Amino acid sequence: MAENIIDVNHASIRFNLGNIKVDNLKEFTIRKIRHELTFQEFLALKDVDLHVKRGESWGLIGTNGSGKSTLLKMITGILKPYKGTVQVRGKIAPMIELGAGFDQELTARENIFLNGAVLGHSRRFMEEHFDEIVEFAELQRFLDSPIKNYSSGMKARLGFSVATMVNPEILICDEVLSVGDANFRRRCNARMQEMLSGGTTLLYVSHDIPSVIRLCDHVLWLDKGDVVMQGDPETVCNAYLEHQEKVYSYAQKEREDRQEIESGKVFDYLVVGAGLYGSVFANEACKAGKSAVVIDKRDHIGGNVYTSRRDNIDVHEYGAHIFHTSDKKVWEYVNQYAEFNHYINSPVARYKDELYNLPFNMNTFSKMWGLYTPEQVQAKIEEQRAEYIAQKKKERGLAPEEAFVPQNLEEQAISLAGTDIYEKLIREYTQKQWGRPCTELPAFIIRRLPLRFTYDNNYFNDRYQGIPIGGYTQMVEKLLSGVPVMTGIDYRTFAKKYAGKYRKVIYTGPIDEYFDYRLGHLQYRTVRFETEELDMPNFQGNAVVNYTGSEAPWTRIIEHKWFEFGKDLEGNDLPKTIISREYSTEWKPGMEPYYPVNDEANMKLYEQYKKLAEKEPGVLFGGRLGTYRYYNMDQVILQAWEMAEKELKTRILVGSVGKK
Amino acid sequence: MGSKWKNRIRTFRKYWDLLVELVKRDIKLKYRRSVLGYIWSVLNPLLIMVVMTVVFSAMFKKNIENYPIYLLTGRVLFEFMRMATQNGLKSVTNNASLLKKTYIPKYIFTLSKVTSTMIDSVFSLGAFFIVMIATRSAFHWTMLYLVIIIMQVYIFSLGLTFLLAALEVFFRDMEYIYHAFITAWMYLTPLFYPIENLPHLLQVIIKGFNPMYYYIAAFRDITLAGRMPGPRLVVGGWLWAFAALVLGLYVFQKKKDEFILHI
Repeated sequence: MAENIIDVNHASIRFNLGNIKVDNLKEFTIRKIRHELTFQEFLALKDVDLHVKRGESWGLIGTNGSGKSTLLKMITGILKPYKGTVQVRGKIAPMIELGAGFDQELTARENIFLNGAVLGHSRRFMEEHFDEIVEFAELQRFLDSPIKNYSSGMKARLGFSVATMVNPEILICDEVLSVGDANFRRRCNARMQEMLSGGTTLLYVSHDIPSVIRLCDHVLWLDKGDVVMQGDPETVCNAYLEHQEKVYSYAQKEREDRQEIESGKVFDYLVVGAGLYGSVFANEACKAGKSAVVIDKRDHIGGNVYTSRRDNIDVHEYGAHIFHTSDKKVWEYVNQYAEFNHYINSPVARYKDELYNLPFNMNTFSKMWGLYTPEQVQAKIEEQRAEYIAQKKKERGLAPEEAFVPQNLEEQAISLAGTDIYEKLIREYTQKQWGRPCTELPAFIIRRLPLRFTYDNNYFNDRYQGIPIGGYTQMVEKLLSGVPVMTGIDYRTFAKKYAGKYRKVIYTGPIDEYFDYRLGHLQYRTVRFETEELDMPNFQGNAVVNYTGSEAPWTRIIEHKWFEFGKDLEGNDLPKTIISREYSTEWKPGMEPYYPVNDEANMKLYEQYKKLAEKEPGVLFGGRLGTYRYYNMDQVILQAWEMAEKELKTRILVGSVGKK
Repeated sequence: MGSKWKNRIRTFRKYWDLLVELVKRDIKLKYRRSVLGYIWSVLNPLLIMVVMTVVFSAMFKKNIENYPIYLLTGRVLFEFMRMATQNGLKSVTNNASLLKKTYIPKYIFTLSKVTSTMIDSVFSLGAFFIVMIATRSAFHWTMLYLVIIIMQVYIFSLGLTFLLAALEVFFRDMEYIYHAFITAWMYLTPLFYPIENLPHLLQVIIKGFNPMYYYIAAFRDITLAGRMPGPRLVVGGWLWAFAALVLGLYVFQKKKDEFILHI
């Protein structure tokens, strides 16, 4: 096996981007004094692996700013990797960008020597090869005139001739052959082929895909510093072109939507928030013959159900979303917009070195106590409950026949599920989730604790369950087809800019934010995700693993690929995996609101906001944030329908269950 | 440690031809652009000398006997340093497009600029010799020491230019700041006035802390007085030269890997 000539191992390049580009002392001093110098890290290359064997020719493709040139610079030695290593076992000849290696004032003759020296060739060597170069560049007649008089094609010829004069071990070619006439280009290609067959290793960057396919035997596709794909030129290039097409059509739609919004048209509805609620409403409004425009302050649609595709894995960016419902109409409705897989949520819980199935069912109990029949298990739990309740009654001086009323979450949980389950699966987990010990949490958080006495690991009891194949974003896209959408704009900005362009507002953002928090902030529980890409096919073997012990700081880990059975859309196994560690964090104003805290104080505040909302002309509030209530996805859809039926005076029709 | 230096020397030898090409380019372009070519680099100091002699010689007649030579000795060296540093200041930033594409030791560009300026300055010494002859000044054998002075100024300028070129990468207004600085420096160097005319304190400061004073005073010693410069000027001149070189190279080496992110 031939030795690799280039080895790039897990290399990352980091730039420190100033918040504002400061390149002069005056500004630097002023900002230093005012403490305005902040730097943001930016990874131009992320964990890139590239192994090139002697004699291979690699094409690097990707959009502008994807890191192609950065990768070349790292291989050339101009940039040093911040992480990882780069090893090059051969002499590199970079083909220098047009004009860069040349002095415009010097003649071609002088430039040949200068350029040769730049490439590290000696004067004598250049003298020996001088005629060869001139001949190949076909510039005999103009040798002694300054190259500022040359056309760009002539300069390219000169550059190419100097760079390829010898068979370099590694030739680096960064988008330089796009100029020059057809004849010269053909000869360049011939020369490159000749070099390739002579054993030169080529690194070729180009936007000209056909030339990449023609010249290269391997292709690496970079996007925003990530390696998207590498391998056979046809496959990678086709995937790249397809992706480009999609990106283009997105941009095209964005332009068209903007045009439509900016035209004289007045929309019936402005839907604030492109989440599930807003998308369903907008979809229904369109079906009912009304016009709607949807905006979102995030730069994508989908709200919290948004999934992004990385390494062919649909990543649930705002936490795991598993669709489940018992409503046939809702199920048929969503199936119109996406094909759902047969994913069944069956999480497992890690407690120290033990592993239990969730939800609490016979598998869990059997593992915990070594019991096998429901009868045994029920007796065991009953025994633990009774013992605990009896002891508590004694502590409180209650008579055995008096009712025991749990005072906090601990008492509530043990009196429902017994001591063992509480200790291993509830106590520390709940403490991590709420940031307080269970004894300090109100009992109502757990109203009931479903204990299942069957061997059934299905987390949900609903009739229908699954995940849209290819992610939720596609589904929301379909819901919003034909509706102009503007992302990355908040309601205030839009309302100011396009006042009078809409008749009514459907507001799905936080209700307190709409009123500028004039009555105070509503509280939420929030979670923080740390998402990481791992170079292994399988991290935990399940989509959801809860960590119920305090030894892990996170509450759970999501391994996104298992929502779609670890396969890409074509059914191939995925070599990498992406996991998200989920941490419970105390919510502060300005953080991402996830779960409304529906305790007494907050509900009272919400009621006050609701009164304000009812008086707000032309604005209707909806969704999880707009009505300060946690909904499952099916409930959100039902809520949106309810609003649509009331507002649009229509009936929601879905396939076979059109009429309820 | 040893292999590191061996490596550096090997790299330097590999790029020696590039250094030569770059110096040649600078010299060629300088004389190709103007019609008068070489004559211009002699004529320019001559003209300035004539004007300044007319204006100032009456003013300082008492102190200075051969004013044209006094003026030229100062000017030739100061101009050499000024041109070298000002040309070299942008030596890294101006070659950004090349440095971004291929690995070249960055100091080559700075070194070549200072070197080509030195060669240019040696050429313009022609003006100095013309004036020597015209004013019937005596040629002393001590003037051979000029070679040493030029080497000292070269090393000093090189060090200063490394420092400036590195700073320029990060702060693009270094050019203007330095321009203001060097103007002040020029007036604080006794080029066209006798240093004795200054207040005592200023004289002490200039004699102690203005490196250019060491070189100019030495040059005047060997030409006007026909004597070898004293040990203070000789040792001081070398000390300043190497102090500048060490400082400049230190900053340049320490920062050179970051250049690419800012050019």
